[in-house]
Amino acid sequence: MPLWDKTGWIPVPQRVAAVLWITFLMAGIATGAFFSAIDPQELKHCVSFPEVGRLGAYTIGFLLFWLLSASSALIAVFFVYPAPPPGAAPGLSEQPADTR
Amino acid sequence: MNRFDPAVKTSAPSPDIDATLYEKSGKIYPRQVHGLFATARVAAATVLLGIFYLLPWVQWDGRQAVLFDLPARKFYLFGLTLWPQDFLYLTFLLMLAAYALFFFTALAGRLWCGYACPQTVWTDAFLWVERKVEGTRQQQMKLDQAPMSLRKFRLKATKHAIWIAFSLFTGFMFVAYFTPARELATRLSDFALGPWETFWLFFYGFATYGNAGFMREQVCKYMCPYARFQSVMFDNDTLVISYDARRGDPRGSRRSNTDPKLRGLGDCVNCTLCVQVCPTGIDIRDGLQYECIGCAACIDVCNDVMDKMNYPRGLIRYTTQHELEGGKTHVFRPRILVYGAILIALCTLFAWRLSQRVPVGLDVLHDRNQLYREAAGKIENVYLLKVINKDDATHRYTLQVEGIDGIALAEPGIVIEAASGAVVNVPLAVRAAESALPSSSTPVRFRITAEHDPALSVSAEAKFLGPAK
Repeated sequence: MPLWDKTGWIPVPQRVAAVLWITFLMAGIATGAFFSAIDPQELKHCVSFPEVGRLGAYTIGFLLFWLLSASSALIAVFFVYPAPPPGAAPGLSEQPADTR
Repeated sequence: MNRFDPAVKTSAPSPDIDATLYEKSGKIYPRQVHGLFATARVAAATVLLGIFYLLPWVQWDGRQAVLFDLPARKFYLFGLTLWPQDFLYLTFLLMLAAYALFFFTALAGRLWCGYACPQTVWTDAFLWVERKVEGTRQQQMKLDQAPMSLRKFRLKATKHAIWIAFSLFTGFMFVAYFTPARELATRLSDFALGPWETFWLFFYGFATYGNAGFMREQVCKYMCPYARFQSVMFDNDTLVISYDARRGDPRGSRRSNTDPKLRGLGDCVNCTLCVQVCPTGIDIRDGLQYECIGCAACIDVCNDVMDKMNYPRGLIRYTTQHELEGGKTHVFRPRILVYGAILIALCTLFAWRLSQRVPVGLDVLHDRNQLYREAAGKIENVYLLKVINKDDATHRYTLQVEGIDGIALAEPGIVIEAASGAVVNVPLAVRAAESALPSSSTPVRFRITAEHDPALSVSAEAKFLGPAK
């Protein structure tokens, strides 16, 4: 069932939160751990990247961590829903229509 | 077996159950409440918001007292300066916070949620604005149902303008924990904020606006992991807010001068005020629910009703499962003692580590290109020393090396000078006689000591390599 399906068992805010919020926390932890071990100024030598300063590097790092973890959560949420039963019409969600 | 057999269909939730489990939640309009716990909540919110908004302006030794200076990679906490190498202390603090949460949850339920959680505090502040602008619960509901009019537009626009201004100010103060507040204020007035500071100001401002203005109780229901797992910390002696069903049921309205016992009624007059004041929109009379954030609004409002009816207070009250069942509450039980002991141990360890903390750091890296070489008839190893001066003053450090008989620096009498906050790299060679080496790899210890402060001393271990024995 797609994330944006409003008829599902799990309310949309809950699904959005499951994807964005928890991964936001994890991205925060990852950013803290990563950048306390590695000074972005030292990374400058390894990656060719426009000069953004430390604050910029932290922000970009955080957003990348968030993007990464949120994509994995998005796919996880997508796969949590059972596949349609065999023989079901394509596009049918996991719940037979007559129980709605 | 046919996968579409009727049994499968009936095992799926019926639309009715579906609707009650996951009702499309409408907007909740919590009714304003007055009373002991409401006062306590306002007091807690005032203190906490006061701390949040004022702390960045407090100075300490000529700098901001609490500043997480990310661009300079150091954290200032009053007299303490922490560096990335002090990551351990932050981990410690997080562990302390977690155990404190476990301890207080086991003891007194969701105190955190009801009184201290930023989500609750900012939601209360936003609700306060909403009430000031749009009026009481009934007026708000009426306004939302009414078609758009000039008055409705004016009220809504005013509310959102105040919310947005308040959110942006909150975002600004959030950034002020990472960039010095005074400097930030000057640059803001000059429209010279950096792009990342602007980004975080708007990001945090938007999060405040969204969470406190719109998401509200849904944050507690869907986003808060604590709300989901707090039940495992509860036991029958945990303080919870509960409706006394034995006293209240059967519920029913009655005239204030009738004796409920004659009509077979309990003390609950079924006025539903406890439902109207609930910020998460639940009925506390249905029992303990994970949505209950323990704000005690229902206690206050129910006590008012009990007073009006001349019934004793406390039909809804802070109580425990044991007490409700007619037993006694055990405060000192194994769970509390264990959590308490861990908490005290962690606090002690943290304080001890902090008191033992030396504001100088030393890392020793062995030269990677050459394991060892022969020089002046001895075995020579080359190291790179990283000296980190975590103190607020410049220091000169002397260096000793020990661990092998006769081991010495190739150039004795090295003094390393490091300014406050500086990381100084010192390449140096160390020599020892081959006959003195017990093996091909011998641990040696480098120690640096500040010239005028022998207490400012730290050591680090490295390997001294030699020919195979």
